[in-house]
Amino acid sequence: MADATMHVNIVASDHPVWSGDAKSVTIPAYSGGMGILPGHEPVLTVIREGDLVVVDPSGARHSFEVTDGFISFDSNKLTVVIESARSISNQKLDESGIG
Amino acid sequence: MGSQLALKSRIASTGSLEKIFNAQEMIAASHIAQAREVALNAKPYTDAIFDAVQTLVAHTHITHPIAKSNEDNPQVAVLSLTADRGMAGAYTSSILRETEDLLNRLEAKGKKPQLYVYGRRGVTYYKYRNYDLAQTWEGDTEKPGVEVADAISRALMDAYMKPEEEGGVSELYIVYTEFINMVVQKVRVLRMLPVEIVQMEHEEAGPTTSEQAESAMPLYAFEPSLEEVLDVVMPKYVRSRIHECLLEAAASEVACRQNAMHTATENARNLIEDLTRKLNASRQASITQELTEIIGSADALSNKEE
Repeated sequence: MADATMHVNIVASDHPVWSGDAKSVTIPAYSGGMGILPGHEPVLTVIREGDLVVVDPSGARHSFEVTDGFISFDSNKLTVVIESARSISNQKLDESGIG
Repeated sequence: MGSQLALKSRIASTGSLEKIFNAQEMIAASHIAQAREVALNAKPYTDAIFDAVQTLVAHTHITHPIAKSNEDNPQVAVLSLTADRGMAGAYTSSILRETEDLLNRLEAKGKKPQLYVYGRRGVTYYKYRNYDLAQTWEGDTEKPGVEVADAISRALMDAYMKPEEEGGVSELYIVYTEFINMVVQKVRVLRMLPVEIVQMEHEEAGPTTSEQAESAMPLYAFEPSLEEVLDVVMPKYVRSRIHECLLEAAASEVACRQNAMHTATENARNLIEDLTRKLNASRQASITQELTEIIGSADALSNKEE
């Protein structure tokens, strides 16, 4: 599973935030931080305000400050649905295809 | 034959009207691009919410209050989506007509409708008639952002969640204009609350289908609990549905306005053509008359000499 990836799609209510492949994602879940790796069991979880970190296949970290919302993971696809998101400390902003 | 001066001034004023209509048409055309952008930006979110709700429906039996109605409460809410500005042809008036129809139908069924209005034109219409409005919103009907959708859905969800004694409602209807294409828009009445969730058939074909079905059906974890997930997802679902309606209404409004302005521009051009013809005819008539007078008098003079 070392080089396995999953598809991540982050959408805010008024615009798509980020989409692409990732090695791991950490979300501010309801009961604390929750890490999601490729092949996770299907889950639908409420998230709180906090920081969401995506690690893409090249090892670069993308951090987002997100408000409340939820995530759903199914068939190796992670969808993050939030009210609004702000990207923070993002070095590879241009290469990651942020719309 | 009218006076030439009057015709000239009518042509001039129709000409400037034509310019205004033409400008309005172009403005409407540019707003279409904006409305499309807002709609495109909101689409992924709407899709994601819709998928989540589909997942919930597929894996559980939803018994959330949003999905079941309280039949005993006769109070219902009606949200009417009108335009902020005029010059959009029959856009607002057909919405208002449909709203009246709906209110009458609901009253005939023994319901007590409360009216919510979005759009300055609709608000002015009802205020002028001293109609009792539950709540109104104005501004940005051409490109409704998430903020407006949020304000509207918050107010309506509040009304829906309140008990009957406090003025709560048992149903929510939305009267809006469905955007079919640039030429055709249709007024529709949608029952938004309680939510009717229809399970979609999975249309994806190919080798992934059986795999997906297998992996999706048996285990799906809801954290922290199914109820709390529903509490978060369902209001968002309603809000995104309302936003969808707003966006569709906005697209219809802009299209209506563009069509109306296009027709107005054409009418103005036809009018100018007609008036110019009349002006020419009257000018020629006056020239002919002058000529006849000159020839007549010349004739009379030469007759005398003989």
